Amino acid sequence: MKISVDHPRCEGHGLCADQAPDVFSLDDDAELTYHFEGTEVPDEHQLAARAAVNACPVAALRVLP
Amino acid sequence: MTAPRSVLIVGESLAGTAAARHLRALGHTGPVVLIGAEDDGAYSRPPLSKAVLKDQAADHTLGLALDGLDTDVIRSAAVTADTRRRTVTTADGRQVGYDALIVATGADARRLAAPGQRGELVLRTLDDARLLRDRLAHAGSAIVIGAGFLGMEVASACAARGIPVTVVDTDRPLERILGDHLSAAITTRAAAYGIRFLQATGFATLTGDPVSGVALPDGTELTADLVVTCAGEVPSTGWLAGTGLADRLGVGIDHACATTVPGVFAAGDVTYLRGDGTRPDRRAPFWSNALAQGRTAAASALGLPAPGPPQDDYFWTEIAGLTVKIVGRLPLSGEPTTAQGSVADGRALLTWSHADGTSTAVAYGLRKPVTALRALAATPWPPSTDGGT
Repeated sequence: MKISVDHPRCEGHGLCADQAPDVFSLDDDAELTYHFEGTEVPDEHQLAARAAVNACPVAALRVLP
Repeated sequence: MTAPRSVLIVGESLAGTAAARHLRALGHTGPVVLIGAEDDGAYSRPPLSKAVLKDQAADHTLGLALDGLDTDVIRSAAVTADTRRRTVTTADGRQVGYDALIVATGADARRLAAPGQRGELVLRTLDDARLLRDRLAHAGSAIVIGAGFLGMEVASACAARGIPVTVVDTDRPLERILGDHLSAAITTRAAAYGIRFLQATGFATLTGDPVSGVALPDGTELTADLVVTCAGEVPSTGWLAGTGLADRLGVGIDHACATTVPGVFAAGDVTYLRGDGTRPDRRAPFWSNALAQGRTAAASALGLPAPGPPQDDYFWTEIAGLTVKIVGRLPLSGEPTTAQGSVADGRALLTWSHADGTSTAVAYGLRKPVTALRALAATPWPPSTDGGT
């Protein structure tokens, strides 16, 4: 499972990091870091990662087919 | 209590999909059926008043995926519910049984048109947003009724396209929610951005058929190519008639998202949190609450403890190019404490302290994550500099 992040669309709300803190984090200026850029999301984080994708209020995250 | 065999979620919404996802995350292996009224399936609504009004490429990027959830999705509106027999009937005639029901049908736009009066524009669904975008492409003038968040966002979209826009309301922009202090700053900013505000002494009436203007109680009449009603939302509870689940405010829930009917839970914009002796009933139809309540309703439907409070009051808006993010109770009143920056400069971090000891934190034109605002809202101000003397 891979996730694409539309960085220009990200508004730094940080609700993804609420759902999946091991997958997403934001600094104090709300800049997003996706911890598995270009690699597979490990099995143990996939459930949370999918919840994070749905939690994004601006639809900046997508699970890649 | 034994776990329910089948869970029926009515409403293919953020709250509905969050509930479905959380049911599976909690290990529920029985049937999950999701009834949705919109052909587009579940999608994210916040971009409707922003990205979607700008660019049609956004239309196809808003879906809330139900990937890997093993849900049975029925795309036909629920029309009736029988909570004694535990069934819901859909518009296409299907009768769906359940052991536990989660109500997540959201809300519809409040409309002002007289019966039979055509052409009222609102913004609630993807279809509404598409229609409004098409009309914006050809409009030379616009009127927005309602100076709340949505009204000011729509007005901003008009102004950004160079369309002269007048916003009409009885209160100043966002005054009912954000109070005098921020309302004054936002009104000034909006004016500089090309948004004219007209304060009415009472309710506006739509004129023309199709709608082409508004009439105000003082006799003022305005006309424009585009008239958009942004007068709030009405909980979508028509299908619950006769169940006793819904009243004027929506479906009342407690902190576990339980309704007053056994086996029935509710989440999202259709709900209000029932008051107790110390707190009044309270509607808070925010994205973050729908998310929190979807999870709580799922846990409660399975007889499990709630994962957290059903209120996660986080709200944001983008007006005249300025983003405002808020954590904590609304409405605000009085003067804030400034933690950083200044409102006059368009970049500030502010807190309001309430009598009950809670605070509301606001990032005004500053990019801050929700975690930072929650921390600020939880910090007594000024921060203790206690060195341990």
